[in-house]
Amino acid sequence: MTANLVEIVSILAAALAVSFGAIGPALAEGRAVAAAMDAIARQPEAAGTLSRTLFVGLAMIETMAIYTLVIALLLLFANPFA
Amino acid sequence: MDNPLTLEPLFHLGPVPITAPVLVTWAILALLGLGSWHATRHLSLTPGRLQTVLELFVTAVDTQLRDTLQRDPARFRALIGTIFLFLLVANWSSLVPGVEPPTARLETDAALALIVFAATLWHGISAQGLKGYLATFAEPSWVMIPLNVIEQITRTFSLIVRLFGNVMSGVFVIGILLSLAGLLVPIPLMALDLLTGAVQAYIFAVLATVFIGAAIGDQPPAASTQETRP
Amino acid sequence: MSFDWWTLGLQTVNVLVLLWILSHFLFRPISEMLARRQAAATDDLAHARAARADAEAARADAQAQEAAVAARRADLLSSARQEAETTRRSLLEEARQEVETLRADAQAKAAQHRIAAVHALQDEAAELAADIAQRLLSRLPETARTEGFIDGLVAAISELPEHTRAGLGADAPLPVRAAAEMSAAETGSLAARLSEVLGHPVTLSVRSDPTLIAGLELDAPHAVVRNHLRADLDHIRQELLKHD
Repeated sequence: MTANLVEIVSILAAALAVSFGAIGPALAEGRAVAAAMDAIARQPEAAGTLSRTLFVGLAMIETMAIYTLVIALLLLFANPFA
Repeated sequence: MDNPLTLEPLFHLGPVPITAPVLVTWAILALLGLGSWHATRHLSLTPGRLQTVLELFVTAVDTQLRDTLQRDPARFRALIGTIFLFLLVANWSSLVPGVEPPTARLETDAALALIVFAATLWHGISAQGLKGYLATFAEPSWVMIPLNVIEQITRTFSLIVRLFGNVMSGVFVIGILLSLAGLLVPIPLMALDLLTGAVQAYIFAVLATVFIGAAIGDQPPAASTQETRP
Repeated sequence: MSFDWWTLGLQTVNVLVLLWILSHFLFRPISEMLARRQAAATDDLAHARAARADAEAARADAQAQEAAVAARRADLLSSARQEAETTRRSLLEEARQEVETLRADAQAKAAQHRIAAVHALQDEAAELAADIAQRLLSRLPETARTEGFIDGLVAAISELPEHTRAGLGADAPLPVRAAAEMSAAETGSLAARLSEVLGHPVTLSVRSDPTLIAGLELDAPHAVVRNHLRADLDHIRQELLKHD
């Protein structure tokens, strides 16, 4: 039962981590893309540089969500207490 | 579903257990080594198509390095170029059926981050001297020394986890989708994986450049090596 | 959670090997090639620049030569024009001078002609006057043509200087030319008058000379006293000529 409880809590924690961890990067990506669109609309000739920087920035932001995913996977597959 | 965090050795070479990432890395090594040897065997002043592409790549690496470091890129070209090229090929090796990218395993990413960390130390010491390099840890004031030391470690870890998480999650998601739908459905995600792989390779190389740039300091004209924190 | 340290070590070695391989077989040759291409391009650029400089120098040379040719042509043209101008002027001058000389010649000739004509006219007039006088005088008596002039001759002789008068007719007869034949009486009276005025007796050898028209002429070796119309007419003619 204890082992079962740990598993249940681990699964819940993984789901919580991914769901809440996705909120921040989602908002951040939205802001970043909006700002990039604004900048491209203002300066269409700088679209190449802007979109390249945007992609790198998005990847960086996405990394935050990936971190939570890694935590979730650790909880699911490599739980030190299981 | 396979546990993406554990590795089972495929076979043993003497006492050494050989795992799948090592095998794939050897294949990549052979591919890149033979390919570059073949490509640069007949270089000429009037380049062919392949040579043009390679020159474009080297020139792009040089430009990136010069922009970031404000120095002659000759000393850093091989390291950064190799990291980028290896990561690109490794990330895209998932295109080959049955092959898992070696970067989807923590050990490969850790090896790369370790090399970057060592290169940071090496270039920092060779550029500023041991004392000068250690002095950079007390940069704003001595109070910052523990924080700076921790930063060195955490940024190396974030380097590892960023690459690992991105590539592994891609592989993981595709594995899940394959187990659910099978045909054709994972293709868009595989395309996204390719993009992610390329972007992550670029980011890893850029971050390595930035770390090295921060380590060698900015004595030559106002280098803009702002800390890019994950 | 398992972390395979063997794999970490192997992967590190792998990446380092790859680093060496790529730096040896890819990055070094390619960057060397880039440097060589850049050097070659710089070389070519320098060559091209030199060639362009050469070409520009050659063009400048050509332009200078062209300018020199143009200047020489202009020089030649202007000198030719000048020469033509001087030639024309000298020709004009020559022609004018020729015309001038011709006109002067013509004027001189015309003046000569006129003078000659005047002379001829005067000669003719003198002739005519002499003719008229002769004709008129021929109507007078013979004696009138000589006697009337004796007083004049005597007066003329009396005006001669003393020693001349003394020399006249002293050792030889005085030659006298008369316009008409003189009779002995006339000759005698003339001799008497002359003796009177000379202060010593004289003899006369009278010769008649119709060219005198009327009058007498004393034709001594030391003195000539003319008292006749011919001399007067000649005198008048001389006067007329002098007026011209």
